[in-house]
Amino acid sequence: MRTSDRRFALWLMAPAAAFLAAFVLWPLVRFVSNSFFDISPMAGGPREFVGFDNFAEALGSPAFQGASARTLLYTVIVVSLEFAFGLAIALIFASLGERSAVFRTLFMYPLMIAPVVAGLLWRFLLIDNFGIVNELLQNAGILNQASDIGWLSDPDIALFSVALPDVWLTTSFITLVLFAGLQNVPGDIIEAAKLDGARFHTLLFRIIIPLLRPVIAVALIIRGIDAARAFDIILIQTNGGPQESTTTLSLLIYRTMTRYGDPGLASAMGTMYLIAMLIVASFAIYAIWRPGSDK
Amino acid sequence: MIGLETNRRSSRILLWIALAVVLVAYGFPFLYLTLTSFKTPLDAIAVPPTILPSEWTLENYVTALSKDGVIPALINSVVTAVVSTGFSLVLAVPAAYAITRYRTVPGQVFVVAALVTRMVPTIAVGAPLVETMRTLGISDTSFALAIAHTTISLPLSIWLMASFFEAVPDELEEAAKVDGASRLGALWRVVLPVVSGGLAVTAIFAFLASWNEFLFALLLTSVRAQTTPIVIANFQTQFGLDWGGMTALAAIYSIPVILLTLALQRHIVAGLTLGAVKG
Repeated sequence: MRTSDRRFALWLMAPAAAFLAAFVLWPLVRFVSNSFFDISPMAGGPREFVGFDNFAEALGSPAFQGASARTLLYTVIVVSLEFAFGLAIALIFASLGERSAVFRTLFMYPLMIAPVVAGLLWRFLLIDNFGIVNELLQNAGILNQASDIGWLSDPDIALFSVALPDVWLTTSFITLVLFAGLQNVPGDIIEAAKLDGARFHTLLFRIIIPLLRPVIAVALIIRGIDAARAFDIILIQTNGGPQESTTTLSLLIYRTMTRYGDPGLASAMGTMYLIAMLIVASFAIYAIWRPGSDK
Repeated sequence: MIGLETNRRSSRILLWIALAVVLVAYGFPFLYLTLTSFKTPLDAIAVPPTILPSEWTLENYVTALSKDGVIPALINSVVTAVVSTGFSLVLAVPAAYAITRYRTVPGQVFVVAALVTRMVPTIAVGAPLVETMRTLGISDTSFALAIAHTTISLPLSIWLMASFFEAVPDELEEAAKVDGASRLGALWRVVLPVVSGGLAVTAIFAFLASWNEFLFALLLTSVRAQTTPIVIANFQTQFGLDWGGMTALAAIYSIPVILLTLALQRHIVAGLTLGAVKG
């Protein structure tokens, strides 16, 4: 490549790189450095260097430990439900072939809806006294009384309930990605397996899933990262309650930052959260995706 | 596709039934929201709830739109999303072009770095940005919020545009250069028209990323620049539990983008899956 081409390429990338450096990297550096200070919540207030004190305080606090566990559980619930539904629906679409094209489009609509709207909508569907879900369950004879399940008010199940709108909102994404991946599975391999008398589960677990592995990995990693960062969808449904049962890390950090007015501690929590995300995501990319190993 | 498509009549019927169940279950929540928005405010929270309104009325729409700050918030949402989409495209197009056409080491590093920003929790960038915007003297403006939203949409836009540029054959620019076009001229007059569909997809994704965003808007705006998601969220505290008005505003906010994207669906599907499947 000519030097002038190289310089031209750098010039083309420079504005975007400068933007990300100024508005992502620099804030992030400040955020991480804040975690070593005790900071007054007032603008321009005093800051005092405290080393790793904030990290020790966060790690020792039950609130942080609980929120970490709930974030992990929430992510696992969302991703596994989305994967199960998403794959099943992608297989239905693929089996129906081109005739399902219109329905594939319709199925996509929740992707356009704001998480805050989805959260409020589901809160409305699941609400104890006038929620339609319990009413339908009662009419179907599954519940004795419409108030038998307190989806969002029972601390034992609230974390599961707040995950439902997230699943509803983005299963379409997994379906679309897996459906596109299925288009690339060579038809003759499936035909040959069918001729050999392979049952559906053999076909699924021995052929389809292994062939889709890179696509599945990308879809799950993207969704896992987003689920672990979920904020508004939970905030709007329960505000972290009842009894902190839906307080995930993003809510705890936000609250520590704004309501409890401890930016230093919040930054330490956020820094550990960020590091954990980077480690888990890199591990996931390496373990599931294995770039290059299939070629 | 021959492999998975089934030809047995009985299994096809079963699959159509399964699909119908899925679509009804999937469509019901939003349909119920829309129907509720046409109920009277009391009907909306009646016990037991009904699916259809007993009386169709636009009352909720009138209350929602006449509430203080609702119309300005809708305008703010449009302005913020449009400005942020503009930023995103202007920055992403040349960067993505450089990454795909001139495979330099900095280019590859840049792609990875851009993807890593996706893993950063919003609050870790949002909280320090509050101070940055104050220093720049643009606190609580749509412009500042648009910059924040661009931090989300820019990596996505670079990723999408790079996939679209990759599909354009090199010969196209070579021919343009032989005809005397400069490198920039070849990009502007020859390559960009070819990827106009991809530009549209990227623009829609950048627009949606800003339109639906909540946490940056919560941190960076207070009154003047507040966007609609914040106002929708405030319906429950500020005005008591006005479910009727909330459903109306949610419908006003969601239906145009749903219709727009469904109208452009073929491009969208391409955009959604391109990056992921290629990886």
